Amino acid sequence: MRKFLILISMFLIGGTFIFTSCQKSTGEKMVLYPVQEDPTISIRIMFEVGSQNDPVGKDGLAAFTAAMLTEGATQKLSYENILEKLYPMAASINNQVDKELTVIYGRVYKDHIQDYYDLFRQVILEPGFTEEDFNRVKSSMLNYVENNLRYANDEELGKKALQEFIFEGTPYGHIVEGHVSSLKAITLDDVKAFYKNYYTRDNVIIGLGGSYDSGFVTRVKSDMKTLPSGKNLQQPGKPQVKPINGLEVRIIEKPGANATAISFGYPIDVLRGQRGFYALAVANSWFGEHRNSSSHLYQVIREARGLNYGDYSYIEYFPQGGSRQFPPPNVARHQQIFEVWIRPVPNDAKLFAFRAADRELHKLVDNGLTDSEFKLTSNFLKNYVLHFAPTTMSQLGYAMDDQFYNIDGSYLKIFRQKMTDLSKAEVNEAIKKYLQYKDMKIVFVTDNAEKLKEMLENDTPSPIKYSTPKPEYEKLD
Amino acid sequence: MKKLLLVFLLFLFAGIGMAHSADSLFFPYQYEEFKLDNGFKTYLIPVHGSGLVAYYSIVRTGSRDEWEQGKSGFAHFFEHMMFRGTKKYPGPVYDRMITEMGADANAYTTDDYTAFHLVFPTTYMKKVMELESNRFEDLSYSERDFKTEAGAVYGEFRKGRVNPWWVLEENLYDLAFVKHTYKHTTIGFEADIKNMPNMYQYSLSFFKRYYRPENVVLVITGDFDPVRTKELIQEYYGSWKKGFVPPKIQKEPVQRKERSKVVKYPGKTLPILAIGYKGPAFDPTNKMVAGAYILGDMAFGENSDLYKKLALKEQKVEFIEPDFSYHRDPNLLIIYSMIKNENDISYVKGEIDDTIEKFKSQAVSETELKNYIEHVRYRFLMNLNNPDNIAGSLARYIAMTGRLESVNELFNTMDSLTPDDIRAVANRYLQSSHSTVITLEGEK
Repeated sequence: MRKFLILISMFLIGGTFIFTSCQKSTGEKMVLYPVQEDPTISIRIMFEVGSQNDPVGKDGLAAFTAAMLTEGATQKLSYENILEKLYPMAASINNQVDKELTVIYGRVYKDHIQDYYDLFRQVILEPGFTEEDFNRVKSSMLNYVENNLRYANDEELGKKALQEFIFEGTPYGHIVEGHVSSLKAITLDDVKAFYKNYYTRDNVIIGLGGSYDSGFVTRVKSDMKTLPSGKNLQQPGKPQVKPINGLEVRIIEKPGANATAISFGYPIDVLRGQRGFYALAVANSWFGEHRNSSSHLYQVIREARGLNYGDYSYIEYFPQGGSRQFPPPNVARHQQIFEVWIRPVPNDAKLFAFRAADRELHKLVDNGLTDSEFKLTSNFLKNYVLHFAPTTMSQLGYAMDDQFYNIDGSYLKIFRQKMTDLSKAEVNEAIKKYLQYKDMKIVFVTDNAEKLKEMLENDTPSPIKYSTPKPEYEKLD
Repeated sequence: MKKLLLVFLLFLFAGIGMAHSADSLFFPYQYEEFKLDNGFKTYLIPVHGSGLVAYYSIVRTGSRDEWEQGKSGFAHFFEHMMFRGTKKYPGPVYDRMITEMGADANAYTTDDYTAFHLVFPTTYMKKVMELESNRFEDLSYSERDFKTEAGAVYGEFRKGRVNPWWVLEENLYDLAFVKHTYKHTTIGFEADIKNMPNMYQYSLSFFKRYYRPENVVLVITGDFDPVRTKELIQEYYGSWKKGFVPPKIQKEPVQRKERSKVVKYPGKTLPILAIGYKGPAFDPTNKMVAGAYILGDMAFGENSDLYKKLALKEQKVEFIEPDFSYHRDPNLLIIYSMIKNENDISYVKGEIDDTIEKFKSQAVSETELKNYIEHVRYRFLMNLNNPDNIAGSLARYIAMTGRLESVNELFNTMDSLTPDDIRAVANRYLQSSHSTVITLEGEK
């Protein structure tokens, strides 16, 4: 019997592939991605700041600050004025915040670049930080955390809860969007101070893509130099994750839920670009390629038994998995986790579904991939990676991540080459080195926490009722 | 060997200007229509440079076509069944072959159509055409697979049902329509989904009636040789037998009186107000249709006076937004708003009513109208930035009309709109007697 440490929680939410054309500046932090045939221009201005920099008690401040920039006034223009000016261009200015990075980004038809950039630079360099915008942004963020995340999307709740569970006690240990109490505690002065500390010229990476000209590059560089200096900035460094002992379970009770969302995982010590990463990527793809029927977990849980909509695994953070098909750029991290996502299953099959995934993980770790599984998956990935960045904007983002991970060249290009060069032995070695099944954290979002706790503690059998004859080729214990 | 790793070269898009005369072609890529004797039509849109091909099989059947009692949700369910294979290529074999290609393969279902889409390296064109034509002509699955897949569909329902928007839409369409099949959402009524495992025989009939060459349009974009591709289309789709049986969809009677309902959501949410007005069927040459779309943006979009008042200045709402999108049959023109305080629901409803009255009585400015039309044009064009997005952007227009030309016609019609047209649209469609009002409230 496997020992579970169970926590019942009801408080939780409170170029292209032509990388020869990608120019990475050595002096300044800048990535240029010229594509003259693209009639649009993409801008990504990235700051090395994220939720790991949120002060204690102010969880969500990094996201709040970014939202105040892109959803608020500048010193010259109200937010209303900005929307009016952006509208005929069909353009927008957006933000994305993760644990370590914040990116302000947008794309516009090149005819409009001067007018568009005039707004863009004001958003970053001359934010208005008005009380009116502050109240609106706070209300919106509270609504997301208090209502949307807690009630409207159980699987997203489960995935975010797993991140908090694994990284608890570290600067990664709270969701980017913050919590109700911390959001309520944030003041406009906090936002101003955060901006002053982290939106600095020493902390910015400029990314430009598409059909810009050299004069535009000069202008953007010159503008970003007007940001204040921030040389003494202290970053928290790689999070020191508390070791996991056995199977640690957190159950989030949601009374009346008609299905159970399950996520589990643990930290892994390998990052994009490092030796072993590409081999592990092959194993992970075979085991649980995101939103793809090639995933082994998908085949076992959904395809053979029809228990849910899909089952996947990850070795890098993959946000918004319910709506995205491919991994987004600029959510790079110095600490990643191995994660399994089991989409909502009927409540009476929750333990079975977890055990099925757990069992398949045992088999993967103990046996590795077969020759044919290895060949099929490496061939698959060799072409599949072509879909990861189909636009100038996404290619630019990937090229910027290459700088984060100190990758010499293009990750996507190297990835493709590695799929030809790797051996099965390297893949199976990576599985042994990075994956295991003894120490994991597991999150259930379900309707009856006490009953599940009891079932886990007593190791209660969890047979399921098949609507059709039990699959012959893949009987579970 | 052709180099796969190239940027998407948008030659034609790059070369176009944004000014259009009434008779100009709006869609910026050259394309060719290729039709077989059995009625199967393909649009070939070569965009060279990427080494990739996007391949969209658009079945002009969606939840709109589920006209028989107890069969709601079946078009979506059938989309799932299309991945269960044929005698020649059983499901696991099909999956393996797609995996070997490294293709991005998926499908989705809407009210008006079902799209099966793949993006793959050009070298696999022949193999993809063989696989796709084979499953569209000779789909074959066991009753066991059918029942198992029904479980996956129920799982999809379960994951979505927790969302208040899901609950809202179910109730809005159910109340707004009496006869027409738009009464149910694409996923279907839960009772029908529960009963899906028992509909194996019906599924065979569904396939025979709707998955026919006259009812499917293929769109191929990206890096391919059109001449060779047409030969392959003839070879692989030429023997597909006609046999489409049109659905017996009932016409929706004219609504005479406002309908309203308060819906309780079993969770916490801010109140959501949805007002749906009976709108027109899609017709790309009809000014009322093009005008309705623009009216929605002008009156209730992110740049509208009402948005600025309610969301930015007064901060009474989290947001207000229109969904005046196009549909094959007359559907709803919907205004959604998430309201911060339940005491303001009436106020927000009153502001929406006042805005409608303003658009009925006053003409918008010519300049403002042009700005909105430009916005819609740029938004459409900027999304045509890779083969997958090009085909995906066309899918709904082709599904509604069967013709790619409808895109050019629509944007030409839009160009000809005047302020008086916008006023006429407001007067014609935004009548309270044709409206359905849903107020969704969460737990206290």
